[in-house]
Amino acid sequence: MRLPKFNYLGPKTLDEALDLLDTYKDDAKILAGGTDLLVRMKKGLLKPKVLISLKALNELSYIKKQSGFIKIGARTPLADIIDSDLIQKEAKALFQACKKIGAISIQHFRGTIGGNILQDNRCHHYNQSDFHRSGRQACHKDGGKICYAREEADRCNSTCQSDGATALMALGADITLVSKSNERTIDLADFYTTDGIMPHACESNELLKEIIIPVFGAHSSYQRLAYRSAIDYPIVCAGVLLKPSLKNEIAEARIVVGAMGRSPLFLAQISSSLKGKKLNDTIAFKKAADASMDSSATFAVHNVGATLEYRCSMVSQMVFQALEQTAETIKA
Amino acid sequence: MEKIQITLNINDKSCEVMVYENDTLLEVLRDKLDLTGSKESCGEGACGSCTVHMDGKPVRSCLTLAMEAQGVKITTVEGLANGDELSDLQQSFIDHGAVQCGFCTPGMLMSADALLKENPRPDDKTIRKALAGNICRCTGYTKIVEAVAHAGNPKDHCLDCKSAK
Repeated sequence: MRLPKFNYLGPKTLDEALDLLDTYKDDAKILAGGTDLLVRMKKGLLKPKVLISLKALNELSYIKKQSGFIKIGARTPLADIIDSDLIQKEAKALFQACKKIGAISIQHFRGTIGGNILQDNRCHHYNQSDFHRSGRQACHKDGGKICYAREEADRCNSTCQSDGATALMALGADITLVSKSNERTIDLADFYTTDGIMPHACESNELLKEIIIPVFGAHSSYQRLAYRSAIDYPIVCAGVLLKPSLKNEIAEARIVVGAMGRSPLFLAQISSSLKGKKLNDTIAFKKAADASMDSSATFAVHNVGATLEYRCSMVSQMVFQALEQTAETIKA
Repeated sequence: MEKIQITLNINDKSCEVMVYENDTLLEVLRDKLDLTGSKESCGEGACGSCTVHMDGKPVRSCLTLAMEAQGVKITTVEGLANGDELSDLQQSFIDHGAVQCGFCTPGMLMSADALLKENPRPDDKTIRKALAGNICRCTGYTKIVEAVAHAGNPKDHCLDCKSAK
């Protein structure tokens, strides 16, 4: 498959990249690893006039701990995150998620954490070749007015299948976006718009610079279900964070379900229902897992493979396993 | 669109090639440099048949722009053998019948070679994990895994194997 034509620009510094992004805005796309972007371009889903490569911007590739926060540069390769003791110890959910993204050959150099959380929503009616899509009317995401995944839907129902986003949202991460004239830090949960067509609240002249994970004595876990153990997107995934109190009760909980809706779903009410529960309270975990299934089932449509019924029933499994695993790590 | 001259370091040779900005590394290897060992199958990073090494690490060449491959050491499957003498891994693939149609073999070899350089005596699970990104539609993987295990550990592995040294 040939890539469509574009101009390749290789800025040497972040300022230079932001200048270029400010000039070209919507005509430009950022090329970090390209494992998502180039595939979409090959399928004719995107036709940017300019690609701005981050290859030379090593200043965006780092993992460090600073005053109670883990800071990760957006262009950090997934392999570096997997190899980092700091992430393994303090942000286990992210470590587990990154291990599942792509395969070894994607994780080196090419796949980056920024690219993973900025990947576009997917739908097996939309992520098809030009030829396949030319045989029928365009769907919402393709500029038309039809949804093939849900009959008579008035909006796009594409699914956010990012492993990294689900894990980072469970960890309560913030992200920093920079443009030529501005820099802002927002909660990752606010970054996702729940709009299938434009899933990210990111201006056309903004670039993802940093991911900030708070470290506050909590433990986390990430579980996912996919057809293939490598190079596959999850059909259901769950990220969980639990903070134990001194009495070995749950002081804070966060449950996030991914690959079920237009953005990762942070289930605030169910999470807070776990507060004050004992760490070995399996019944409470089971209840929370079942409630997660009920809540997230309303958002899901049949568009990423496997039957909807199966995916929904597996939500409770994923959440339960993640809760159990987190509790186990706390106890150990 | 104009062609641009770039320099690529492929199999320890410096090659100057004229490329378009939208050429992938795979297209340059196959169409411009006649290194047709690396194969294009899915073209979207799912099958692994285009795997090459960049600085010793396996990378999908169909998802790498040629422009981005400058300044690193690229090794293709043609660079594994020493002239006419096959590498241990390549010979082991032949001895174990790990090649049927052969289309996935260059990618398998490159992924396995990177694994063996990092871990010369990998166990079955490690091999399967390292090759998880490569698809083979013929062999059922067992013979490929055996071939890699043998190449990493020729003395102890598979006693009844004819090629055991």
